[in-house]
Amino acid sequence: MNYHFGRGWARWTPFLLLLPGLAAYFVIALGPSLATAVYSFTDASGLKGAPVRWVGFDNYQEFLFMGRASVDNLNALGRTLVFCFFVTVIQFGLGLFVAVIINQNLKGRNIFRTLYFMPVILGAVIQGLIWSLFLYPLGGPLARVLELFGTRSEFLGGQPVEAFAWVIVVQIWANMGTTMIIFLSGLQTISTDYYEAARIDGASPWQVFTNITWPLLTPSVNTNLTLNIIGSLQAWQLFLVLLGYRNGTQVLGYLIYATGFGQTSGSVTSSFRQGYAAAASIVLFLLVLVIGTVVQNVLRRREARILG
Amino acid sequence: MKKTLFSLLALVVIASLSLAACGPAATQGPAATPAPAAVTLKVLVHQNPPMVAFMEAFNKTFQEKHPNITVDMSVVNAGDLSTVSQTRLAANDVDVVDIFGFANAAQPYMKKVDAPNWQQLIEAGLLMDLSDQAFIKNYDEATIKDAGSYNGKVYAINLGRVSYSGIYYNKDLFAANNVKVPTTWSELVAACEAFKAANIACMTAGGKDGWPIFVGAYGLIGAIYPDQAGLVEGLWNGTIKWNDAKSLEMWEKMQIYARDMIEPGASGIPGDGAPGRFASGTIAMYPGGTWNAPAIDEAKPSFKWGFIPFPGSDNAEDNKYLFGKYDQGWAVAANTPNKEAALLYLSEFSEPANYQAFANAVGFIPTQPTAKLDTAIGAEVAPYLANFRVGYEQYWIAPKGAGQFANPWASYFKPYGTDDDPQVLADKVQADLQAGLDAVK
Repeated sequence: MNYHFGRGWARWTPFLLLLPGLAAYFVIALGPSLATAVYSFTDASGLKGAPVRWVGFDNYQEFLFMGRASVDNLNALGRTLVFCFFVTVIQFGLGLFVAVIINQNLKGRNIFRTLYFMPVILGAVIQGLIWSLFLYPLGGPLARVLELFGTRSEFLGGQPVEAFAWVIVVQIWANMGTTMIIFLSGLQTISTDYYEAARIDGASPWQVFTNITWPLLTPSVNTNLTLNIIGSLQAWQLFLVLLGYRNGTQVLGYLIYATGFGQTSGSVTSSFRQGYAAAASIVLFLLVLVIGTVVQNVLRRREARILG
Repeated sequence: MKKTLFSLLALVVIASLSLAACGPAATQGPAATPAPAAVTLKVLVHQNPPMVAFMEAFNKTFQEKHPNITVDMSVVNAGDLSTVSQTRLAANDVDVVDIFGFANAAQPYMKKVDAPNWQQLIEAGLLMDLSDQAFIKNYDEATIKDAGSYNGKVYAINLGRVSYSGIYYNKDLFAANNVKVPTTWSELVAACEAFKAANIACMTAGGKDGWPIFVGAYGLIGAIYPDQAGLVEGLWNGTIKWNDAKSLEMWEKMQIYARDMIEPGASGIPGDGAPGRFASGTIAMYPGGTWNAPAIDEAKPSFKWGFIPFPGSDNAEDNKYLFGKYDQGWAVAANTPNKEAALLYLSEFSEPANYQAFANAVGFIPTQPTAKLDTAIGAEVAPYLANFRVGYEQYWIAPKGAGQFANPWASYFKPYGTDDDPQVLADKVQADLQAGLDAVK
């Protein structure tokens, strides 16, 4: 057998080249993840020098089964799934629609591409600030529009369901650009020959989309669905920036942050409970793992069926 | 080449030896005082505009007096202070931290509760023991004991008490609309109705930050349960319930407060924007903390305001209490490499003249016995100081397993929450609390 890197010690070259990447992965990703799993069985506060005691499954027992708090946690888990569903479906659909539109030979399409992508480069704090101003209930732009119809709303500070819906809107606005760009790059890899042949055969635009564009976009569809699902399951920053810790609005990602950093009770003296937060993280990880695996399987089969 | 290198080396060695030989002669001259080493002192404070403005001026003076020290002050939102303190103390990236008065300590009747974060910081060895520092003697003994000590050692100096159970009122609007300053709940309701009839918003609040929307309700709780420590103990041992007759009266009043008194849209006003909105003169009242007074004055110095305890009861005698807490304090990172500079900073801050200027700037009720209540807010709260009590939230720790509604917050009511029936809400709150009490039995 011929080795590309030669014989003897030279055969170790590919492993050596992999080493920096693997080391970075262990230090930045796998290491902390394993540490989180270990911490979830302790009462760690996250403070350097603080004693850490092994508590077995106590954190999991408390998170999943203890009193009304566990029901609230399960509600947050359910809310996470609802958030994931709406964000994924709408962001995916909207991203595809916009990508198809701005893939046409339109005037000023680069400007539109930039505009749609721009929210992606803003940080969560800026995104939150923009929407807080837009939704300011005392004379903000949307409040003025509602006034014209003789109605009003507290928006982010009002009914939990409405506040939650606004976070879905902002999450989609903030990330739709990425979905759009992935679809756009997918669209640009489809040869124009197919479209030309379809046109000669007299295919309608809908037939062109369903029989050419959609099947050939399969790799982009898979990438976008996976990214949207995982991204929305892990969302927490916009909840922090837009709503803070409010009853009836928390998702699992934000609950983990709030618990770990003592922000759940509204008191400035809340304890730091990073062991407990780590247990909640593992629950979230398992949720992402199960959903991610199922989705990946379904998508892989679909890709094999369509593209062979 | 080798020869040249060797010659150069030999030259350096000879020159070094010659200089070393000159050494003793050099010590015969006048002794040079070593310049103090340059120090960057990292200070962390929470956002409170008048306090930040004072600290910037204090830092400038401090740096002029000690040119080798540069103060690098970071400002974070009050809600993020504990998180940032935790991470920066753990990373040894801060020297002096702003820390709220020690509160929410576990009581003997509480079961399986977690230690408050200040206790966790001390037990992790992250806060310096200040017990032997001379400047702590500038503060009154009770404050040092109640708000900055743990296990007999002093870890923080607390800089002032604040009350959050009062209401600012607009003197001009009250006079112009012939409305009497309320001393009872019925009078407060009547005042709000009078202002609403005149198309004037009754109350505003900085609801965007969450807690300010219900801060006025602390007065309501206090009027009904003046013994706040007793209330917490009663809730834990079951002798007081959030759905008993007495508490139901509180919920009914909270609903009126949330639904009819606070102006619509208040949930969008940032906490530090509310004083300015009140100072604009278009709103009759503002339930806020005593620390808001300097911001009101700064927004409009000519604005005439007064401050009264929240009249939560129809018996005026029940409404003479002010509830509050120990606010900001200073602690020093145990592992600071700049110990001397950090202690010097606190020592100079604690000098009576500096402290008085600070108390005047932020409107705190002083914790140095020699300081005077020289401020407008000081004059307003002075008649009630004998009735100052530490508030419910400084004692309360929810039992593990309690639901998220196990608190007496007015924000559960519409339009901020989903509830519009006091009895239903009272039952829900008690059920959430009881679930926790049962879980830790």
